[in-house]
Amino acid sequence: METLGLYISVPFCRSKCTYCNFASGVFPSSYFEQYTARLEADLHTARAQAAAWGAVLPAAADTIYFGGGTPSILPAELVRRIFSAIRGELTVMPDAEITVECAPGQLEEATLAAFAAAGVNRISFGVQSFIDREAALTGRLHNRAIALEDIRRVRTAGISNISLDLIAGLPGQTAASWRESLAVLADTGVDHASIYMLEVDDDSRLGREIGIGGLRYHAVEIPSDDAIADFYIEGVAFLAGQGMMQYEISNFVRTGAQADHSSRHNLKYWQRAPYLGIGVDAHSMLRTGAGQALRFATTDELEPFLAAAGWNEPHWLTRREELEEAWFLGLRLNQGVSLTALCEEFGAENVGEYVGRLRELESEGLVVRSRDHVALTAQGRLLSNEVFGRFLEERAAAV
Amino acid sequence: MNSKYIRNFAIIAHIDHGKSTLSDRLLELTGSLTAREMQAQVLDAMDLERERGITIKAHAVRMMYPAKDGTTYQLNLIDTPGHVDFSYEVSRSLASCEGALLVVDASQGVEAQTLANAYLAINHGLEIIPVINKIDLPSADIPRTREMVEQTVGLDASNAIPVSAKTGLGVPDILEAIVHRLPPPAGDPEAPLQALIFDSWFDAYRGVIVLARIVNGRLRKGAKIRLMSNGKAFDVESMGVLTPKPVEIDELSAGEVGFFVATIKNVADTKIGDTVTEDNRPAIEALPGFEDIKSMVFAGIYTVDSHEHTLLRDALEKLRLNDSSFFFEPESSVALGFGFRCGFLGLLHMEIIQERLEREFNLDLITTAPGVRYRITMTDSSVIEVENPSRWPDPSEVEQIEEPIITATILTNEEYVGGILKLVEDKRGRQKNFEYVSATRVMLTYELPLNEIVLDFYDRLKSVSRGYASLDYQLSGMWVSPMVKMDILVSGEPVDALSIIVHRDFAYDRGRALVSKMRELIPRQQFEVAIQAAIGAKVIARETVSALRKNVIAKCYGGDISRKRKLLEKQKEGKKRMKRIGKVDIPQEAFLAVLKVGEDTAGR
Repeated sequence: METLGLYISVPFCRSKCTYCNFASGVFPSSYFEQYTARLEADLHTARAQAAAWGAVLPAAADTIYFGGGTPSILPAELVRRIFSAIRGELTVMPDAEITVECAPGQLEEATLAAFAAAGVNRISFGVQSFIDREAALTGRLHNRAIALEDIRRVRTAGISNISLDLIAGLPGQTAASWRESLAVLADTGVDHASIYMLEVDDDSRLGREIGIGGLRYHAVEIPSDDAIADFYIEGVAFLAGQGMMQYEISNFVRTGAQADHSSRHNLKYWQRAPYLGIGVDAHSMLRTGAGQALRFATTDELEPFLAAAGWNEPHWLTRREELEEAWFLGLRLNQGVSLTALCEEFGAENVGEYVGRLRELESEGLVVRSRDHVALTAQGRLLSNEVFGRFLEERAAAV
Repeated sequence: MNSKYIRNFAIIAHIDHGKSTLSDRLLELTGSLTAREMQAQVLDAMDLERERGITIKAHAVRMMYPAKDGTTYQLNLIDTPGHVDFSYEVSRSLASCEGALLVVDASQGVEAQTLANAYLAINHGLEIIPVINKIDLPSADIPRTREMVEQTVGLDASNAIPVSAKTGLGVPDILEAIVHRLPPPAGDPEAPLQALIFDSWFDAYRGVIVLARIVNGRLRKGAKIRLMSNGKAFDVESMGVLTPKPVEIDELSAGEVGFFVATIKNVADTKIGDTVTEDNRPAIEALPGFEDIKSMVFAGIYTVDSHEHTLLRDALEKLRLNDSSFFFEPESSVALGFGFRCGFLGLLHMEIIQERLEREFNLDLITTAPGVRYRITMTDSSVIEVENPSRWPDPSEVEQIEEPIITATILTNEEYVGGILKLVEDKRGRQKNFEYVSATRVMLTYELPLNEIVLDFYDRLKSVSRGYASLDYQLSGMWVSPMVKMDILVSGEPVDALSIIVHRDFAYDRGRALVSKMRELIPRQQFEVAIQAAIGAKVIARETVSALRKNVIAKCYGGDISRKRKLLEKQKEGKKRMKRIGKVDIPQEAFLAVLKVGEDTAGR
């Protein structure tokens, strides 16, 4: 029986980070109630909607992920309402992974208790940096002490599966300060970490400032691309030394722990397992009875989302598109793509078309083949877009 | 009509000094168009303008004007292009007139283009009526404008007509002045036909349309005509005048202006400045002033996608149907594949052609750096002309190289003179004249190599003068100069399409500036890319584009796979727009990097 990954989007933040253009934003708390009502309604109509498109919505969920924005700023009462709605529509598996993204310093005791009571068993902290100045420069509201205290509180609440995010390339970051953030992360003893290289959205405040060559938001203090690449490489090596192995471009998990704490929800994205997104700018992938994948999403702005119910029209993937996705999502994982599995799903003749490109990438040192698997090299991970682009179909030449 | 009652005139004005508004006002006052038609007319003309790229609306409009003396006059307004690239066309339009309105903005004064065209008109013996426009503006200074017209153009401006084309104030005085101050056309309607072609274009429905001024004789519908430059004969199928709506008529006689359509298939047959005569009663000689138009600026045009080469050829052939003033011939480049060497009247003309190819034919193009035609005397005394750097001869076989020179007139305000002098010196200019034409206006006359003008002269002139300098030039001879061919090597491989011809003494600086610009324009690749400038085997400048270190989407974006795909597709699309040479992806702009070399480094 196939199980579902459920994503709940919570677009609210106490402050907006300078590099972010997500649908998240600082909205008055009066929106929270209205938004919760909409989540409840969409959870309720999702099954009928999926059926109307001929898509199968699995009855049971084995991962739930609250992403943001900052889901940790939800009031306890609304947390209870949302979970009640989820359990009303879906069977939540007893061993389900239930993650909430939290911003350090923005987790009320009552909300934490509500999460724990509702079954939340994994917290992902958007720390970004343990250096107070770096956190402040991008508009984060916490400092190192607060972050460490929150980790302690979450553990006390009985949630031991904790992930920390760090960003390589924040304004003001240096090799030394980066090492310090990594060391503090290691000291916490968490089992999971994500290292993202700074991606500045063009239409974020910081992105616009960089665009005009301005000085605000410490745009000129952003480390160079080369420095960021170096930070990343150092982070990968450092975490390996701490027993945290990379399993995806940005994700690391402690080996030898009692359980595998890889993010089961995020693995669904890369392994093309079905997931349903509820809330603003939430994305879904389901399959029809015959196995065809369809992707659909909600609008990416809060006001229009609240004003009109429903999802945008789905996109039904062609076999070619699915195969391309199998490559560029599967290769994100360090284990790579199994050629046998790929041939089984798409047919050897279709997979065979990529042999030339694979050889080329191999000769460029970007991918490596070992027995049945194709995987990115360390260099290939840093240049993964260059690799993935090769797997996309050439558009027909314009006439 | 008796030629006593005909007046043919042009309007000379700088861009934005109000030529179009004044033309509209004249049409309105003579009742040629109602206000409603006016709107429609303007729109039509704008379409045509867009279609032809370079024309100005209403090339030759006939207006009937009942003057205060009780007589109705036929006024033919012959409009002229206003850019230095098209000065030959301007001279032919002026040759079709007896007079001209010289329109000067009351707050801006005389600009270089106006001056050049005014001189051209005076040299053609035209009677000039100075018109001071925009007197409704608070900044208008009529006495000072008069003074400037007298000083720069050397005309008596005491009877200049102050007007506001915008409000209509004073415009009726212009019509009276045209009637009383301009002479009627001379010419014998009974003599053998001599008609001057001053414009022609290809119309998809009607074929080639020719605009002509009848100098002597009569042109009749159905007549067999002969074009005197090539001796080809055609039958006149229809003819008429633009009012500005086309109105068919059966005859045009000496002094009149109109259009005709004959059995001409190829617009290249109807050369501007050619004389039309009757086939069975030809004139003894052609009208003076005919010249074959020569290309001044040359560049290679290639498609980014080499599969589109035949599309480019088709497009060039179609464009040539209504613009016979550019030429093209096949050439091939090691780097860019098959393309065409094209010759243009000037830089603007080149830009127009390029833009039309991209817009109307949806082609992605790479244009190589524009250059000029050199005359090279070889050691064996033979003389060759070379406009393509790839055909540059081995220096050991060259005796002497001559490059084309222009005489440039620059009009500006005195505060910008310092910057402009430095610019023209940087561009190897030689001063011919320096003159204050009013207390604050300066007129500079310089000889400059055309090669320097086609690079980035306009842009730099604009920037040093903040736009307050106007330029006009004409070809004025050749200089013997030590020119050398500079090659650009990317990853050790010479890229023929990037070679340029430069003055030996400027080669080092140009080379350094060029490779440094190229380093900015070539994106980082998976490997290090060396960019070198070389003269012969000697490398004179080098820069390195370091290898790309990261290109990665890190975040999950809540399972938004479409966003990832779009980003990957966008990157891929961006690469497709680049030209891959060897293993290096080079963006289109890099092939014109020489035009983009910054002010701080260029040409010193």
